[in-house]
Amino acid sequence: MAITRRTFMESALAADAVLALASALHAQNKQTVRMIMEDIQVDPVFSTSSAAINHATAIYDTLFALDANFLPQLQMVSKWDVFDDKKTYDFTLRDGLKWHDGTPVTAADCVASSRRCRQVEPSGQLLLERAANIAAIDETTFKITLHEPYGLVLETLATTGQPLFMMREQDARVPATDQVTSNIGSGPHRFNVNLTEPSARVNDRKDQYLPRGEAVSGFAGGKVVKVEHLSWENIPNPQTALAALQSGEVDFWWQPVADLYPAIESYPGPVLDTLGQHGSDWLVRMNFLRLPFNNALMRQALLHLIDQQVFLKLFSPDPKLGRTVSLMFGVGSPYSNDVNTAWFKEGVDLAKAKQLITESGYAGEKVMILDPMDWSEANLASQLLANMLQKAGINAELAPMTWSELAVPLGNKEPVEQGGWNLFIATFADFEVRRPMATCLMLMNGEKPGTAGPRTRNTKRCEPNSRIRRHGKSVRNWLERWNVYGGNTSGLSSFARP
Amino acid sequence: MALYILRRMVSAIAVMAMVGIFVFLLIRLTPGDPAAVMAGRNATEQIVAGIREQLGLNEPLPVQFIQWLSAMLHGDFGTSVFSGRPVLELLLQRLEPTISLSLLTLALSVAVGVSFGIEAAWRSGGLVDRLLSVFAAFGFSVPVFVIGYCLVYLLAIRVAWLPVQGYTPIEEGFGDWLSHLVLPTIALSLPFIAFVARVTRASMLEVLSEDYMRTAAAKGASSYAMLFHHALKNAGVPILTVIGLSVAYLIGGVVLTETVFNIPGVGRLVVDAINNRDYPIIQSVLILTSGLYVLINLAVDLAYTLLDPRIRY
Repeated sequence: MAITRRTFMESALAADAVLALASALHAQNKQTVRMIMEDIQVDPVFSTSSAAINHATAIYDTLFALDANFLPQLQMVSKWDVFDDKKTYDFTLRDGLKWHDGTPVTAADCVASSRRCRQVEPSGQLLLERAANIAAIDETTFKITLHEPYGLVLETLATTGQPLFMMREQDARVPATDQVTSNIGSGPHRFNVNLTEPSARVNDRKDQYLPRGEAVSGFAGGKVVKVEHLSWENIPNPQTALAALQSGEVDFWWQPVADLYPAIESYPGPVLDTLGQHGSDWLVRMNFLRLPFNNALMRQALLHLIDQQVFLKLFSPDPKLGRTVSLMFGVGSPYSNDVNTAWFKEGVDLAKAKQLITESGYAGEKVMILDPMDWSEANLASQLLANMLQKAGINAELAPMTWSELAVPLGNKEPVEQGGWNLFIATFADFEVRRPMATCLMLMNGEKPGTAGPRTRNTKRCEPNSRIRRHGKSVRNWLERWNVYGGNTSGLSSFARP
Repeated sequence: MALYILRRMVSAIAVMAMVGIFVFLLIRLTPGDPAAVMAGRNATEQIVAGIREQLGLNEPLPVQFIQWLSAMLHGDFGTSVFSGRPVLELLLQRLEPTISLSLLTLALSVAVGVSFGIEAAWRSGGLVDRLLSVFAAFGFSVPVFVIGYCLVYLLAIRVAWLPVQGYTPIEEGFGDWLSHLVLPTIALSLPFIAFVARVTRASMLEVLSEDYMRTAAAKGASSYAMLFHHALKNAGVPILTVIGLSVAYLIGGVVLTETVFNIPGVGRLVVDAINNRDYPIIQSVLILTSGLYVLINLAVDLAYTLLDPRIRY
């Protein structure tokens, strides 16, 4: 659980970047857009990295997609129906959908894809729990039959954090722990094996792709591609990436290093700007299972200690590109709210923090902050966090490591002395945390995942998935959906409330 | 000679076996979980555990080692845990850029370094000799990446004569291929030029002071004949040794240069693999480069016999 103060930085938002870029570059009459991206794993079910999801958004399509108001809209599905018992859903695919290898998209493909993706995606698991049967009826129609009514079926199929991408049946039958490398989807871009080089992946515009007629809204609407080729270049060295941008060898750099903002802006040509509306949220994640943050008073003290403005200068030196935020469930979503945040969002209160630390009975236990040295912003933020804690008398220590090494202590539930952890800095695209049902931050399943909070009586009652389990069947409309997992977070926040 | 080569080959196998054990243990004892890296930070523990099982990472280390060794001996380099593609395919894909960069660097270093060293020795104490001292100090002390960034700024950004980064295969045009390699080759060559030039100068100075050189001059031999027929051949053994050693240093330099200039070669492949804890790639590349190093040393030893007939094995 990550109900901490969240610093917020606007940066290019994954899917928004892809969609907005095409029209921006069309004006430049370019046939190939070259973008600097991370190294990509091509299976968006196997890997949950942002790079994998971004890439998959170009290659694959989804059955439904959320619009700007977070309402599910038709995408590959042309029509759907729910029976009177509220337990049986029929879905019919649009005419003319084809995979990039030329074969038609069938209902069997969609059934297999749903089963594979839902094995690993939080909201999908809720749906699978209730599904008595998911089966194809004919070539273009499939049916989901539930054990009990569930009002969030469409929203689950339209989820954004780890979207339900449709794959060919033979690909979707690969276990979720194996990687699918065929790169054949039905989305607006087609992987070009001939132009692809070891450090660049090239996706062509798929001419046979039939965009929907509706205007783009959020992730929904017609995906109209206006360039012939989209080249994803992996340039891991920031200085080289900057030079490539300055010389015009690449057109777009997603999330440049903050230290280089002045260099980018000082050079004629490149424009530093935000493409997404809401950017990324930065968080301090706490291990609630171990001392000292298993104590609510220590968690409250941490909230009083963190100075968002100072952190923001690390993530976004230019004030116009970032701002602080203490909202729950992202910024600007229907679920965003600031219930029970007033007591800590006004700023640093060192005296109050020290008082809470004393009251908690903190006895100088070591607080281990995992510090990913190969991620410059998180590295600086970790150092700053350690400094802030030390000022309040907390025995904070940094554990320097690479990002890949960080996974080991993070998965360790034992105390620090036995290889565990207390704190680490993380960031999530804002759209990933906007929907409580879909974000891993809200799993709250105790000892199981490395980064979730413990399941207590209080959190168990309030966490979104639990609420959905209890109230999901009664959800009939948007207002009820909001109430189920977004509207009332006062209980959710109570684990740290004074 | 044949017996010597056989002995060297047997010792090479022993060396590579030790390297194999060392590499295998080193990367497994280093903290890091390839399964967690592959699954991404939002993955559930269940998925990470599944991938770990799939990769065989839950097996005891000796079992993992035997499985890996057996596969290697059968020519199976394994599959990249990050990309899911065969390691051999990835290696072959990355060989051309690395070989191109290495050969160009070696050719430039030897051509310029040897010429520079001969000239400095021939006119010892003169302007060229003093310039060589300055250049050598510069070449040895300035890191490759600093030289690289300066070259990029001057020649790629300011005057835009050459590309900043990337690589074009030679079959897509010699001009494009060469233009992408000019800056990395210069950046990587400077320390080697300095190294080869200094050794050539020292070796040539020693030979030029020999009695037989004075005799050759007294017999009216031309400067060309004295330098290239008499002096250089006799000074060749240490120069060849240095060139052989340079190849080993070159492997390290290539990794850095490929990163700075974003060349998709073997160096970049191994750096990315280390970041992703992609064990099969790291192991394969290190084993192959150590094997290459052993073979180059053997070739250098054998080449001594061509330069100095007194050497026999």
